[in-house]
Amino acid sequence: MKWDLSDKALNSEFRHAVEARSGQGLSTCCQCGKCSGGCPVMPDLDLSPNRVLRLVQLGLEDEALRNETVWCCVACGTCNTRCPMNVDIVRVMDTLRAMAHRRGVEPPATAARVWAFYRSFLDCVEEFGRLGEIALMGSYNINSGRLLTNMVKAPWFFLKGKVALSPHKIKKIDRLQRVFRRVAEIESR
Amino acid sequence: MKYGYFPGCSLLSSAVEYDRPARALLGALGVELEEVEDWVCCGATPAHATSHLLSLALPGISLAAAERQGLDVLTCCSACYSRLKQANHELVHEPKLLAQVNEIIEEQYQGKSRVLHIVELLAHEIGFEAIRARVTRPLAGLKVAAYYGCLLTRFPEELRIDKLEYPTLLDDLLAAAGAEPVDWPLKTECCGAALTLARQDTVIRLSGQLLQVAKECGADVVAVACPLCQANMDMYQSDAEGQLGQQLGLPVLYFTQLMALAIGLAPEDVCLDKQIVDPTPLLVEKGLVETGVYL
Repeated sequence: MKWDLSDKALNSEFRHAVEARSGQGLSTCCQCGKCSGGCPVMPDLDLSPNRVLRLVQLGLEDEALRNETVWCCVACGTCNTRCPMNVDIVRVMDTLRAMAHRRGVEPPATAARVWAFYRSFLDCVEEFGRLGEIALMGSYNINSGRLLTNMVKAPWFFLKGKVALSPHKIKKIDRLQRVFRRVAEIESR
Repeated sequence: MKYGYFPGCSLLSSAVEYDRPARALLGALGVELEEVEDWVCCGATPAHATSHLLSLALPGISLAAAERQGLDVLTCCSACYSRLKQANHELVHEPKLLAQVNEIIEEQYQGKSRVLHIVELLAHEIGFEAIRARVTRPLAGLKVAAYYGCLLTRFPEELRIDKLEYPTLLDDLLAAAGAEPVDWPLKTECCGAALTLARQDTVIRLSGQLLQVAKECGADVVAVACPLCQANMDMYQSDAEGQLGQQLGLPVLYFTQLMALAIGLAPEDVCLDKQIVDPTPLLVEKGLVETGVYL
């Protein structure tokens, strides 16, 4: 893949913003590629992790925020523990994803479902304080527009008696909902 | 020995067969458990993937509760462990952040709770000798691929409980139970984790590869310490078989089930009827369970 830098001034403001939010010094990345060598999801994605870091170094904001890798990183941490410069790459991916979401950057179609899953998961936690796997599957299927996802797997859960139909609600749910509101408020500033 | 038990959400539903043998096993080894009062979901990947602050606030609530109970936190789920431990580390080392989180969660957490995984507790605090002494039904002849996944060992250096790329604690625990751990190269490779609903192609590819290599290395079963690893390798095994064009038939058991079996706990505590790839025919063949008892 090639990026044309000729008409773009290097946008160091973007790199500084990512560094400030993630607490990681990105100019230390020497592009050795160890992160990408160990990345388990890379074969299914458009950009290798070291390329994402390179885009941030070059200040190519749109390209750094609009790719599958930022959305589909599983946070396994293989890259983090192998990085010779000790960059917390998972934290950088988390930061880029949150920035992309706040700036209204749409994820690529192949990655849109990942955000729908995270949203459904957290909605359930906000409502009950704990996750109910059936509530999660239902809400995910609605949020992602894929109504039949995993329906072939669902009977197993029932047959094996592995599923509590609705999650157990915690006692201090009001406090937890205030926590969710406060975090959202702080992050929207 | 008493701990604040944090079951986590999965162990109350899709991973009951991790929870029940764990509680029974710990009880038999003299560990007392008191549930962390009104614990809250750790937030898992979705919290840190969307909001760093939320990924500290959610564990903060449960850590503060355990501190009030005067107990260290014990969990079986590797995802809960990873989140609770990393959030705790960050809160303890960054006083400003701790103050901010305390204000958000309406608590006065001081950072006194310690977070332990059941593997760490069994290996380091109870010890292999004490476990070996309790084994009444050694898992002789059972070849096990101990699978650690990502979250049990992959921490920044100061938080690690085992070797990073080739950990051995789980192998050693299974060996103490009389099983034969196999040497295999994918102990810490990712199963696809939280992409389980959103990117099934990735999960089937990764889980299939783990199962295929475990089998090639001679494993009869895979032993896991994380509900997501279990679900991915067990639930998607038939899809992986289709993709690989190969019959796998590899039961994926929680290591607590195997250890509970080895110390002779009752069938209802071992919960062998919950797996999708049924382990009973294999265990009967190996002479480890009697026909009928577990069906």
